[in-house]
Amino acid sequence: MSKLKGLLIVLACLVAASAATAQVMDPAHRNPTPAKPVTDTSGCTDCHSCTTPTHENPCLQACKRHGAQFLGKHATDEGPEVVVIDQLANLYGPVVFAHQLHARMSAMTGGCTNCHHSSPATGKVPPCRECHQPTRGNTDLRQPALKGAYHRQCINCHLDWSHENACVFCHEEAGDKKAPVAGQTPKKPGSHDPTDIVGARHPLIKATPTYTYQTNEPTGAVVTFHHEDHVSKFGLQCVNCHRGDSCRSCHDSNGQPKEKRRLDHVTTCGVCHGERDCSFCHSKAAKPEFDHKTSTGWALEPFHRKVACTTCHGQPENFHKPDRACTSCHIHWAVGSFDHAVAGVKLSENHRELDCDGCHLEKNFAVKPDCTGCHDTPMYPEKLPGTRVPRR
Amino acid sequence: MVTRREFLKYTGVAAGTAALAATGAEASAGKTHLDPERIGVLADLTLCIGCRRCEWGCAEQNKLPHGTLQSYDDLTVLKEERRPDETRLTVINRYPAPTWREQPLDVKVQCLHCEKPACVSACIVGALEKNPKGPVTYDAWKCIGCRYCMVACPFQIPAYEYDNALTPKVMKCTLCSERTLKDGKQPACVEICPREALVYGKREQLLELAHERINQRPDRYHPEVMGEHTVGGTSWLLLGDRPATEYGIPELPNQSPAVLTETIQHGVFRGFTGPLMIFGLLSVLMKSSTDKRKPGEGDDQDGEDHHG
Repeated sequence: MSKLKGLLIVLACLVAASAATAQVMDPAHRNPTPAKPVTDTSGCTDCHSCTTPTHENPCLQACKRHGAQFLGKHATDEGPEVVVIDQLANLYGPVVFAHQLHARMSAMTGGCTNCHHSSPATGKVPPCRECHQPTRGNTDLRQPALKGAYHRQCINCHLDWSHENACVFCHEEAGDKKAPVAGQTPKKPGSHDPTDIVGARHPLIKATPTYTYQTNEPTGAVVTFHHEDHVSKFGLQCVNCHRGDSCRSCHDSNGQPKEKRRLDHVTTCGVCHGERDCSFCHSKAAKPEFDHKTSTGWALEPFHRKVACTTCHGQPENFHKPDRACTSCHIHWAVGSFDHAVAGVKLSENHRELDCDGCHLEKNFAVKPDCTGCHDTPMYPEKLPGTRVPRR
Repeated sequence: MVTRREFLKYTGVAAGTAALAATGAEASAGKTHLDPERIGVLADLTLCIGCRRCEWGCAEQNKLPHGTLQSYDDLTVLKEERRPDETRLTVINRYPAPTWREQPLDVKVQCLHCEKPACVSACIVGALEKNPKGPVTYDAWKCIGCRYCMVACPFQIPAYEYDNALTPKVMKCTLCSERTLKDGKQPACVEICPREALVYGKREQLLELAHERINQRPDRYHPEVMGEHTVGGTSWLLLGDRPATEYGIPELPNQSPAVLTETIQHGVFRGFTGPLMIFGLLSVLMKSSTDKRKPGEGDDQDGEDHHG
């Protein structure tokens, strides 16, 4: 019996060993991971057969999307003002879809066919439910059911343009059902900025990193505008400055980029810099790009380099100067919760339990620590309360 | 006694035969018992918006602890990477967008139902089985709780009910095999997915669909379908905008880990050759060591014992 037991144990060990080796395989069998191909991200050729589609000759071709045809040519105001989508209203209330608003927006891109992708050239535009089934089946994997179709259509743009996809953005909570009253303008779904035309799917716009303008201002003729700073350092989105722009602001009727124009600096720059005097922008010579230390006297190295501007200064619209005291942001710093080694000194056993303000008087970390509270002679920086370690 | 030369000769022959048997087994490892019409799920991660409806649908279906559907609107949980465990068989993880111009990638994590599952191979009592129709199923009655499946799984999916002292079970996605195979319905997560980011169907058709999407939008998709070849293929197929290793899938070979171990182990026992060789070798050793003792010619001590 004990032999049988021994045999079982040996067998079990063999299985365990095989399971363990299962995790480690020779590198020759690893998955090849080819680099992502660099392709034209504009997607113009998805729908247009020519390179310069115009309103007169859009040269539309059968869309690569399954079953989609670009044939429809309806005026945007032909459609209904509001469409109430309530075919699937079991969890949420019906969706009040501002159809005309969307139709007008779509006129800037693909027109009605943006959504009505299988519409005939003339006659009635078929509703979504004519093709998309109300319940999901396993018959046609390519055609989403009605719910999937709605969500794929709406969320595509809503994610790209407003980065907003909460259910209640479009849906009323169930039990909170409000039928739209005829003749009343429906509640605008959501609070997204309709001028956000340079959406996330626009091909990357390569702007000049720095513009230097010569002006007639007597006190300072040169205006240096670091565009790249505003985008990458300050994290502004295009629409923060390019408000109210449409496709036609930058493209001509052939879709070609127009000559660049200057934005009105009072209404554009003034949104953030309105409080400043002229010399903030106008100077005798070109200004270097923004550096936190030269501009504010506060070096971001080494820790704050990783922090987004908005974390300390708030959103661009209401930018503010934070208090310089470390503890104004780091409110949880205390003995035990702060690893002193990140500051370059690993505290010795004797100093580890001391309160921060024992050395950093009044918790002012900007000035040198004071050792005289306990020691007769000033020690720092000749003697350290621990060992020097590399700063992290 | 056996001489050194003899010993080497016999062991050499035994090892050679075992190796031959092993190569034979490897050649036959390509065989599959899987149904060509087996089912699977295609998860188009670029369509997923991380709404966590699938998490709720799964918990509801499997009678696991869960709050209201509205409680799953809390997307702050996506800030930290989560793993499926014994109380939630699927979770959504969010991987940040490369730049603010793009979208983050939301990734549904659950058992991928390998075509050649390492957990099934490691299970010593056959509690885990690969259904030829696709799902990897679990029979709690057979399970002895050894948890080898947890060690074996290359995706580290099976979880164990450590808090259940009397009847602990291994917990993992079952591909809703009750719903899908018996009732012909869709898995709960697929049914609830509002954008149809999850598509349920026959694996072959789903692969076709996946490649169709990649060909139509090479700018949108990473050109590889995760699960087509990885670890010998999986029932779940993932389409993402980046390589799978960048959204939580470990770097894995295209061969199931079970193939190597099974090749060795089945090879040794194939046609009972290995055991026969060992017992043959043993009997030869015994014979050669006893041959020299002719009857009635034992040494003195033995003789004394026998007669005493």
